[in-house]
Amino acid sequence: MTETAVATATLEVRGLHASVEGKEILKGIDLTVRQGETHALMGPNGSGKSTLANVIMGRPGFQVTAGEVLFKGEDILGLTTDQRARRGLFLAMQYPVEVPGVSVVNFLRTAYQSIKGEGVSALAFRKHMKEKMNMLAIEDAMVSRYVNQGFSGGEKKRNEILQLAVLEPEIAILDETDSGLDIDSLKLVATGVAQLVGPNLGVLLVTHYQRILNYITPDFVHVMINGRIVKSGGEELAAELEKKGYEELRKELGIEENGGDAA
Amino acid sequence: MEPATKVQGFDEEALSALSSSTLFVEALRKQALEEFLALPIPSQETEEWRYTDLSDLDLSFAPFAPGGDAESLNRGKILQAAGVVGERAGLQIQRNSEVVSTQLTEGLGAKGVIFGDLDRAAEEHPELVEPHLHALVPTSRTKFTALHGAFRTGGTFLYVPPAVTVELPLQTLTYLDADGAAVFPHTLIVVGQDAEVTFIDRYVSPALSRALSVGITEIHAGAASRVRYVSIQEWGDGVTHLGVQRARTGRDTELRTVAIGFGASLARAEAETELAEPGGFSEMLGVFFADGTQHFDHRSLQDHVAPNCKSDLLYKGALKGESRAVYSGWVHVRPDAQKTDAMQTSRNIVLSDRAKADAIPNLEIEANDVRCGHAASVGPVEEEQVFYLQSRGIRRDEAERLIVFGFFQEVLDRITLEEVRDSVSHAIEQELAGEG
Repeated sequence: MTETAVATATLEVRGLHASVEGKEILKGIDLTVRQGETHALMGPNGSGKSTLANVIMGRPGFQVTAGEVLFKGEDILGLTTDQRARRGLFLAMQYPVEVPGVSVVNFLRTAYQSIKGEGVSALAFRKHMKEKMNMLAIEDAMVSRYVNQGFSGGEKKRNEILQLAVLEPEIAILDETDSGLDIDSLKLVATGVAQLVGPNLGVLLVTHYQRILNYITPDFVHVMINGRIVKSGGEELAAELEKKGYEELRKELGIEENGGDAA
Repeated sequence: MEPATKVQGFDEEALSALSSSTLFVEALRKQALEEFLALPIPSQETEEWRYTDLSDLDLSFAPFAPGGDAESLNRGKILQAAGVVGERAGLQIQRNSEVVSTQLTEGLGAKGVIFGDLDRAAEEHPELVEPHLHALVPTSRTKFTALHGAFRTGGTFLYVPPAVTVELPLQTLTYLDADGAAVFPHTLIVVGQDAEVTFIDRYVSPALSRALSVGITEIHAGAASRVRYVSIQEWGDGVTHLGVQRARTGRDTELRTVAIGFGASLARAEAETELAEPGGFSEMLGVFFADGTQHFDHRSLQDHVAPNCKSDLLYKGALKGESRAVYSGWVHVRPDAQKTDAMQTSRNIVLSDRAKADAIPNLEIEANDVRCGHAASVGPVEEEQVFYLQSRGIRRDEAERLIVFGFFQEVLDRITLEEVRDSVSHAIEQELAGEG
């Protein structure tokens, strides 16, 4: 990674509404993530966190009904997913997809060339990948296996983090990267992410639980309930949530349980 | 391009123009011609021919097309058309209806290996040819196998004596460039006990206005032998390909076959293994890629006759354009075939909404202590996979290309011959790059 002083990449979500099959999931989201910042987006299941992550990346099946998503000042909602990725966005998936017959190294090399341009030599790529593998303590055998095929839950998530490390995006969204992991796997994944956090990377960490924040200290914490960000604050908000739980916060803010609006 | 001879169609007069190497062959031809004339063109009303309509097939093909003399034969050009030919223990080239060249590594002959023109083998080794020719695929099987029996010329005979291991593959290249001709490639392989051999059949032609190939492969694999057989069908447009391959395994035989189909306008390829003795193993791999208006009809049979045998079939195909492919596979477990372990898998990836694929598995189980399974799928490239690759910056077309390659990789990983793997990869690459 080079430490040159360039303009800070910014992801801005403005007044975003989105639906799935006619049902509105996001009801007006405003959120700004700058390169170098770490934001935790927390909320109960079904609050729309993952929808936000997927809409930003352009997953098919979601309809944006209002609002915009700007990246480096450009509205990216009209761009294809691969164009968004080439501009410097990354989404670590909640459920990484198996791609049979395509090895991790082949997949990564193709992705790296797509993002960095054709001028990358095979040797330079190898060296770059190896460096990231060493950093994340990923063994050689993993990258010659087919993408996510036969991977354990922990391996799948570590593979996501390896991709994040190799592809060097400016803003990465981590969609429940901590979910479904035992404590050892969580530690491996979270310390991996922690090593990548720095001035060149902005992170939007989408999570249900506070436990990953034991390894990664967020600059900002946002709480999302029923398709809205209902509270934002600093690192202390996560601790508060951990103590109170979503239920108490909901009551405190006067939010009805079944998708009702705030009073 | 060689013009085909003036004679067209298949009757007694046409047959009388062909020479027969032995009385045995002559009798076979006569009987087969009778069968041909008596049998109807297979009807789509039968289960076997439901997916392929040949009722309009005009049989006015030339029954014989010369291979050309040594001077007119441009062997280099033919080999070039066949792609890379790796190191071989033996190579035979048949051009149109005639074998034009046969080579066998010195030393193999001394070990008793016989490799060459089937007609010559019928003359020189009747004791090996007569009990085996059309023993697995009788001429009376269909109108087309009868036609083959009557009009076959050329062909390949391979015999590997007991306990002989042939390290390098042997190959026959069948090259067709006579427009309007019918050819009848026949490969007869007899492998002795505990012997080992790899054989590659490759069928190549340029695009023709019309031609017919009715091919038969018969593999007699002796006890504890290890036999690998690869067929690569790369006929040009305009060719109708009707192929039947049948193998019989002995006790503890290990047979691995690969059927690769990229060419022809219409290709029907049947592959069958009869596990006739205990302890046999049969692996049947298939790879095909259809484009344009190609029609592929693939059929397979894992015929478990004896107990304690294992068979494992995996066919993978991709379709583009307006192509059509049907795979129908049978696993037949006969009453004595206890402890059978049979698996049959067919996967199809459809890359165009104008293309259509079907996969039809059939199990017929007459024994009660067996393990049988089948899996079949037909579908487009999975959008989840495309999205995943796109989210890493990979463009959609490149993502699809990677996914299709990955799809075939499962079969490629099981093909032991590197040059065959490479040549299949190359063919897939070309199919993906081509229009429609």
